[in-house]
Amino acid sequence: MKRVTVLFISVLIMLGMLAGCSGSSGGPQEKSSGDSSDQKGKVTLNFWTFWGSETRRPVIEKMINDFNKSQDDIYVKHTFLPFGDIWTKNLAAISAGNPPDVIINDINSVQHRAKNNQSTNLSKYIKDDSFKDNFYPRLWDTVLYKDQPYAVPFNTDTRLLFYNKKAFKEAGLDPNKPPKTWDELEAYAKKLDKKSGDRYERIGFYPLWGSFGAPSWLMNADNGQGFLSKDDKVQINTPEKLEGLKWLKSWNDRIGQENVNAFKAEFGSEQSNPFIAGKVGMWVDVATFYTQIRDFGKDMDFGVAPMPAKTEGAKHWSDGGGFVAEVPKGAKHPKESFEFIKYLTGEKAQSYWAAKNFDNVANKKASEDALSKLSGNDEMVYKQAVDNLQVTTMNPVPADAPDYQNKINPLIDAVLLGKETPEKALKKAQSEVEKSINK
Amino acid sequence: METAYESAKKNKQAAQKEVAEPVKKYRIKSLRKREELSGFLFISPWLIGFVALTLGPLLFSLYVSFTNYNITSKMDFVGTQNYQNMFFNDGLFWTSLWNTLYFVAFSVPLTTAGAILLAVLLNQKIPGIKVFRTIYYLPAVLSGVAVYLLWMQLLSPSTGLVNTALSWFGVRGPAWLFDPEWTKPALIVMKMWSVGGGMLLYLASLQGVSKAMYEAADIDGASAFRKFFHITLPMITPVIFFDIVTSLIGGFQIFQEAYVMTENGDGGPVNSLLFYNLHMWNKAFEVFDMGYASAMAWFLFVIVLVLTVINLKFGKRWVHYGGGDEK
Amino acid sequence: MSTQEHSPKFYETMSFKRRMKKMFVLLLLILGSIVILSPVWWMISTSLKTPGEIAQYPPSFLPDSFQWSNYVKAWQTAPFTRWALNTLFITVCVVIGNVVVNSFVAYGFAKIRFRGKNLLFTLVLSTMLIPGFVMMIPQYMLFSKLHWINTYLPLIVPAFFGNAFFIFLLRQFFKTIPDEMIEAAKIDGANHFQIWWKLAMPLMKPAVITVAILSFNGAWNDFLGPLLYINDEKLYTLQIGLQTFKGTVQTQWHYLMSASVLVLLPVILIFFFFQRYFIEGSNITTGTKG
Repeated sequence: MKRVTVLFISVLIMLGMLAGCSGSSGGPQEKSSGDSSDQKGKVTLNFWTFWGSETRRPVIEKMINDFNKSQDDIYVKHTFLPFGDIWTKNLAAISAGNPPDVIINDINSVQHRAKNNQSTNLSKYIKDDSFKDNFYPRLWDTVLYKDQPYAVPFNTDTRLLFYNKKAFKEAGLDPNKPPKTWDELEAYAKKLDKKSGDRYERIGFYPLWGSFGAPSWLMNADNGQGFLSKDDKVQINTPEKLEGLKWLKSWNDRIGQENVNAFKAEFGSEQSNPFIAGKVGMWVDVATFYTQIRDFGKDMDFGVAPMPAKTEGAKHWSDGGGFVAEVPKGAKHPKESFEFIKYLTGEKAQSYWAAKNFDNVANKKASEDALSKLSGNDEMVYKQAVDNLQVTTMNPVPADAPDYQNKINPLIDAVLLGKETPEKALKKAQSEVEKSINK
Repeated sequence: METAYESAKKNKQAAQKEVAEPVKKYRIKSLRKREELSGFLFISPWLIGFVALTLGPLLFSLYVSFTNYNITSKMDFVGTQNYQNMFFNDGLFWTSLWNTLYFVAFSVPLTTAGAILLAVLLNQKIPGIKVFRTIYYLPAVLSGVAVYLLWMQLLSPSTGLVNTALSWFGVRGPAWLFDPEWTKPALIVMKMWSVGGGMLLYLASLQGVSKAMYEAADIDGASAFRKFFHITLPMITPVIFFDIVTSLIGGFQIFQEAYVMTENGDGGPVNSLLFYNLHMWNKAFEVFDMGYASAMAWFLFVIVLVLTVINLKFGKRWVHYGGGDEK
Repeated sequence: MSTQEHSPKFYETMSFKRRMKKMFVLLLLILGSIVILSPVWWMISTSLKTPGEIAQYPPSFLPDSFQWSNYVKAWQTAPFTRWALNTLFITVCVVIGNVVVNSFVAYGFAKIRFRGKNLLFTLVLSTMLIPGFVMMIPQYMLFSKLHWINTYLPLIVPAFFGNAFFIFLLRQFFKTIPDEMIEAAKIDGANHFQIWWKLAMPLMKPAVITVAILSFNGAWNDFLGPLLYINDEKLYTLQIGLQTFKGTVQTQWHYLMSASVLVLLPVILIFFFFQRYFIEGSNITTGTKG
C-alpha cells in the first residue's frame, strides 16, 4: 500500500512538473504560435475584459483581430478576467505600477476613479473636438471629471417594462396598451393577480423585483432627480420622493411581505425567471433581458414599454448603467491605447458588437445602424431601448461621498418592513447624508 | 576595611567554587545551548518567511491606518483621524461590530459541538463508514456562489426545505434571509451544515485515544455517556482548543457568505448582515479608503488578539496534553 | 457486577444492544446524508440538463434526458486540460511545502525548549488575525518588486515558509507525544531532526494527512491568489476557468455545473482514499498520564 502511495505522489509531481515547466517557459516565449510573427517591433497592449463567455468572447476577439490586422505598430493582447474581481486585480496592478493598457470598467464610477488617480486623463489624446459627438450626451457626461474625459463610453443599458401579452388577454386587458402611469400600473397589476386561496399563483407586478430598485423608483417619482443633484446637493427628503416611498410601501402592504419574500426566494437562484415562467405579469429589466425571453421563453408573447411615469404628462424616467474603456494610471503606452479605444468605440466595431450581442452601444451612429439590421421582436425591443435613452438618467457615484447609499438603503429597508415611517426615514437619511458630505 | 576584606574573600570563594565544577556545568550549558539552537533551527522557516514576506506588509498596513491612503495616489499622515472617525462618526462601524459579535457568539460554540458530535458518530465501525465520512466532509469542499444560491432556496420562507421540515413538527419557520432578526441565525444554520471540516480534525484526534482505556471502562461498566465525558473529551482537548481559537479568529473574519448573499455586499435587510469584514471590504475597494479599512483591521486585530491570549491562558487549565504540559 | 441470576434474554445481551445502537447511528447518518447531499444532487442534475430545462419553473428533480455531452463540451470551451495541469502543479508543490515545513516548525514549537518560545508562538497566531485583503495590496507590491508577477512563485513559495493555521494544528498534535518517548530517543543518540522525522511524523500520521487534505483543498480551490498574480491565460487555474461560464447577461449553468463537478472530483477522491489512515488508531496510545 505504501508503495502505491509513493507511486501516486511521484506521478502527481511528474505531471505537475510537466505542466509547470511548459507553463513557466510559456510566459514570454510561447507566444511564437499563431499571430506572434506579426508582433515583432510592435507595441503590445494588454487589454483586460470580463467577456469570457461562449457568446461574448468570440465577438470581442473578432473585433481585436480586425484591429490587429489593420495595424502596423500596435498589437492588442486580450485577457479574460472574472467580473468584479477584474477591478480588484486592476487596483493592485495600478498600485504596483504594472497595470494593463486598456480595461473595461464600470461607467457610473468613472469620476470616482479619476478623483483617486486610477485612470489617465484622455484629453491629451483626443485631438478632435467632435469626438464626443459620437456618443449619447448623457453617457459622455458620465466620463467627465472636472470637465476632462477619463474614459470613453462603450456600452450602456436602460430599464424597460416587459409585459406578458397572454396574461393581459386573460385578464381582459388590451395587450397593445401597456400601463403609462403609476396608477395604471397598479390597476393593471391588480387585474393580473391570480390567487388560489391565500396563495398567489401569479403576481401582477411588484416594483422591486427585476432591476429597478427603490432609489430608481424615487428618482422616477421626483422628475428624474436622484438623491444627489449634479452639484452634490442632497435631495432625499422631497415631497415627491416621500410619495414614491409611500407608494412602494403600499405594494408590500397589499401583496403581503410573506408573499413577496416567498417569490423572491424561489427565484433567487437566478436559473429561472418568474416573468418567463409566467408567475409575474409585468417585469422591469434591462433590454438584454430579452435574450433570455428569446432563448428560454418558448415563443412567449410579450410586449415592451417605457417605464410608467408617476403622473400623466410626467416623463417616463428610467435609469442606466454600462461600461467604458479606460486607460489605467501608469499604463506604459497611453497614446497607442487611445488609438485602440478609438477603434473599439468607433462606428464599425460598435455596430458589430451591438448586432452580435443585442446590446445597447454608446456610439449613436452604430446604435442606429444596428437597428436597421434587426427585425421582429429584436427590432421591437432594440428600438424601445434606443428611444428610452432619451429618458435614461445615469447614476454616477459621487466622488466625494462614494458610499452615501449605504446610509439610505437600510432606512428604506426598514420602511418596507414596517419598522419605520416613510417620513422619519427620509428625514433621517437626508440629515445623515448631508452630514457625511459636508465633512 | 573589614567589609572590603570580606567581600574579597567571598569573591575568591565564589571563584574557587566555579573552578571546582567546570566540567558538569559546561555540559549542561552546552546541552541547553544545543537545545536552544535546534529550537531556532526548527522554527527558522517560519521566522524567515515572517520577516521576508509578512512583516513588511503587516507594518505597512499598520502605518497606513494612520494615513489617508487610497491605494493609488494619496498617503498623507493624518494621525488618529481614522480611528476617531471609526469610533465617533461611523454608525455602520458599530452595526458591523455588533453583527459580527453576535455571529461569533453563536456560531463558534454550535459548530464546535456539532463537529465533535459528528466526529464521534463517524468514528465507529459501521458498514460504509468511509462513504459517510466522505459525504459529511463534502460541504467543507463545496463552497462558493452556487452553494450560497442553493441555500437561499433551502431557506425560502414558504417553500424552502428548512421551513417545510419545521412544519412537520408544527413549527412555523421564520422568513430567514428576509427578516433582519433572522438573517444571522440563517447564516449560522448554513455554517452548521458545513461542520465537516472541523469534523476532520476531531476524527484525526480521536485516533489517538487508546482503545485500552475504553476497554478498561467497559469492564467497569461505564455508560457511553460517561465514557464520552471522561475519556474521549479530555483526550481531544488539544484539538478542541485549536478549533475554538481558530474558529473564533475565522468567525470574526466572516465575509464571503455575506458578500454573496446580500447582492454585492450591501449588507442585507436593514444592514443585518453587514459584518465587520464586509464593511471593511466596502471601505477599501468601493470607497478606496484603505487607510480607514486598515484602521478597522488593526482594531479587530487588538480585539481578537486579546481574546486569543485569554484563550491561551485559560487553555492551560483545561487542555490536557498527553506529552507533559508546559513548565 | 455481572452476577445476574437468570440468563440474559436476547435483547438484554451486549451484542444485541450494540447492534441496536449501530442501527440507530446508521439511521441518523443516512438522514443527515440526505440533507448534506441535496446541494450535490442539485449540482449534478443541473449539470445534466439542457439550458431550456434549467430555466423551467418549477425545476425538475431529474433531467428529462441526460445531457452527458455537457461535460465534454464544457471541458472543450476553454483549455481546461491545461488549466487542470497548472492547478495540479501548484497544488502538489503547496501540499509538499505545507506538510514538510509546517510539521517541522510545529515540532519545534511543541517539543523543544528555547527562550521566547511562547512569545514567538503568539506571534505565529497573530498573523492569522489580520484580514487577508488588507495585506493583499502591500503583498502584491512586494511580489511585483521581486518580479514574481505572472509566475507561480507567489502561490508556491509562501507554502515553504509555514502557515500559522497548520503550525498551530500540528503543534497541538505533537504536544500529545509523551516527553519520555523523546528523552528515550535522545538517550539512544537521536537528535531532534531524527526524532521529528522517524518518530513524530509516523506517530502523527492522521494529523499529517489532515494537513495534506486541507492544504490540497485550499490550493486546489484558491481563486484570489491565481487571479491576482497570473496575467497570462495559459497559466490560469481551474477556479478562474470556471468563471468563464458566468456571463454578464446569462450564466451557462449547465456548463458551470458540469465543469464544477469535474473540478470537485479530485478533491473528493483524495479525501476518500487518504482517509484510510484514519482507520484503526495508527496513532500512539496517549493513555499514559502526562
